[in-house]
Parts: sequence; C-alpha cells; structure tokens
Amino acid sequence: MERRPHSLNPAKRDRILDGMLETVGTDGYESTSVRSLLARTGLYRQAFYDNFSSKEECFLAAYDAGVARVEAVLRSAVDGESAWRGQLRAGLAALLDLLDTEPALGRALLVEVHPAGAAALAKRDAAMLRAQAFLDRGRAEAAALPDTPEAPRIAPEAVASGIHVVLHSRLAAGKPGELRRLLPEFMFVAVLPYFGSEAAHAEMRAARP
Amino acid sequence: MSYPADSPRERVLEAMLRVVAAEGYAAATIGAVIERADVSRAEFDAMFASKDLCFLAAYDALLDILVGAFREAYEAAAEESWSARMTAGLRALLELLAAEAEIARLALVDIAAIGEDARYRYRLAMDRFLSFTEEGRAAAPGAAALPEETARFAVGSGEAMVFAEIRAGRAAELPAILPDLVFTVTMPYLGPERAKEAMREV
Repeated sequence: MERRPHSLNPAKRDRILDGMLETVGTDGYESTSVRSLLARTGLYRQAFYDNFSSKEECFLAAYDAGVARVEAVLRSAVDGESAWRGQLRAGLAALLDLLDTEPALGRALLVEVHPAGAAALAKRDAAMLRAQAFLDRGRAEAAALPDTPEAPRIAPEAVASGIHVVLHSRLAAGKPGELRRLLPEFMFVAVLPYFGSEAAHAEMRAARP
Repeated sequence: MSYPADSPRERVLEAMLRVVAAEGYAAATIGAVIERADVSRAEFDAMFASKDLCFLAAYDALLDILVGAFREAYEAAAEESWSARMTAGLRALLELLAAEAEIARLALVDIAAIGEDARYRYRLAMDRFLSFTEEGRAAAPGAAALPEETARFAVGSGEAMVFAEIRAGRAAELPAILPDLVFTVTMPYLGPERAKEAMREV
C-alpha cells in the first residue's frame, strides 16, 4: 500500500477507527458515509483520506481494531483463572459487560458485518475460529474426568454459533437490554457438550446473580 | 424451486429469484425478469410497483417454501420422537437447498447485501423454526430448568452451520452435514449423550 505521511499519526488513525465502529454501530453500515463519520468524529476530510482510501477500507481496519479490543478484554479477564470453566465464566462475563457498556461496538462487529460484505465476514470467521479454539479446551479438561464421554468434533462450532446468534438477535433488535443476564444461559450451552447436562445445569445455577 | 401454481405472478416471483441469484441484485433488471417469466411489462407493473417490492415478495415466497419444506417433513413424522422429527425436517430442508444451490446462496448469504428489509425477513423466517425446535423441551431432561433461549441456541447454531457450508460453495453437498446438524440442533435440549444417539440414527 502507498505510504501516506499522516498515517504516522496513530492517535488520529485510532480516532477514525473508533469513530467508524461507533457510526456503523449506531447508523448501520449502509447509512454510514465518510461524511457522516467525519461529522461524528469532528475530523477533517483530509485526516480521513490521509489514512484510508474509502469507507470500505476504513471499516475493515476498524473491524480488526474492534476485534483486537474485545480479545484483549477477554485475555485480561481470563488471566486470573486456571481452570477452563473459570476462564469461560470470566471471559463471557467480561464480554457481556463490554457489550452492555458499548452496544454500538457490538452492533458494528456482530450485526453490521453482514452488509459490510465478504472481506469483513472473513475477519468475523477468523475471530469465531479463535473463540472455538478456546471453547474446545473444555474437551481436554473433561477428558481428565472419569466417565465423561467425548464431545463430537462439531461441539465448539455449535457452542460458538449458538452464543453468537443469541447476541446477534439481541443487538439486531436494537434494544439489547442487559446482556450480562445471559451469562448463566451461556455457561449452560458452553459446558453442556463437554461435561454433560448435570454439570451444565450446575454451572447455570452457579452463574446466577 | 417448484411453485404450487404457474400463474403469471408466480412465474414473475420465480424469475426474479433466478435472475438475482444469477446476476446479483444490482445487475438484475425488470426487463430480464419479465423476459424470463414471459409476461409483459404492463403485466409486471400491474402486479408490482417496483423491482424492490417484487424482490421482497419473491423472497417472502421463497422463505415460505423453505420453512414449509421443513414443517411438512417434521409434521409427517408426527408419530416419531422429537429428534426423529427434527431429523426429518432438516433432511428435507437440506435436500431442497442442495437441489437449488444458487437459490440457496441467494436466500441465506447474498441476501445480507440486499438491504435491511430483506435481512429483517430472513431473521423472521429463522424465528419460525423456533416453535418446532422448542417442542424439544418436552423431551428434555430437567425441561423446566433449561435456558429460556434454548430454541435460539439450537436454531442459531444450526443456521450458522448451513450458512458456512453455502458460503464455502458447498450448497450442493449440504445433505452430508445432516448428522452434525442433528447433533447441533438437538444437543441444547437433549444433552450430548442423547444428541449423539440422534446423530447416529441419521
């Protein structure tokens, strides 16, 4: 890519990326234009074009930045826990808290990624695969227990997409409400394929406030 | 996709889907649709005020056919267990999508780029699967304590699998994922052990 002088101004670039996620999450991808983005961020046209050549290019960069933020939040939440189920609970709680605090971020990453098209969806898929890899660590932990049958290969994909679709439906409806209240149900579905019904019900009860 | 009758309206709806599936929404013209449907422009205008409205009507009809294929097979298996009914419904749906791979891609994947009205219809159609799926609660251990969102977990994870296959260009091979799909959709209700049995019975 052509080197542009002001792209060496990372603070301004970050402001544009944050503004892009906020604008797309609030107005929708199709209604967002470079003009509406500039209006929201208070930046000048030149600042945008110093960094990006189009709305599409900017959104893809913003998508990467948004996913990186979410994953950083998850990593730091999971850090203090050693067992998979504890990590799962801490990670999901942190994710839901973040989405409650910043619903526009959630809408941009989960809902508006569809109209944004194939390149954005490929980034979403890559993030989902990383989430699945984490979820599937439940397999090794369950295998250490006696009498726990192995979950089929499809389990992490089923769990990740089940959680994803519930979040998507809440965010797409525009009134996500308190997503944090979904934590017990998410614990249930994530633990279920690896540890079975009894453990899943126990995790659901334990995660209730 | 076979429509129940071959009226001019139905020919236009089917032609609209096929033209959009082949050429993309932006490139699809009313001219191409009426030619394919063998109706005059005046007949088209008498039925639909615009390309957009015609497409939405066609998409509604398509979603009815897809949900209908599932429902018919599910209901025909009324005497069987819930997981067998789900298997029957999913098999019918996958076979229909596989037989019409181009239309399948339009219905589930390309639709996202056609606008909010179309996406809204897609989400409503997915919601129509919730009630069949929720009948699994009666078959579930500890039914009362299952998550409220169980049906959405089940439908959503199944939907994501089908979506991924179609997007990867494997719509024609969709029936091959039936065992995994049955596991995915029944597991939230039945737990992994019984869902694996349902998967083996496919």
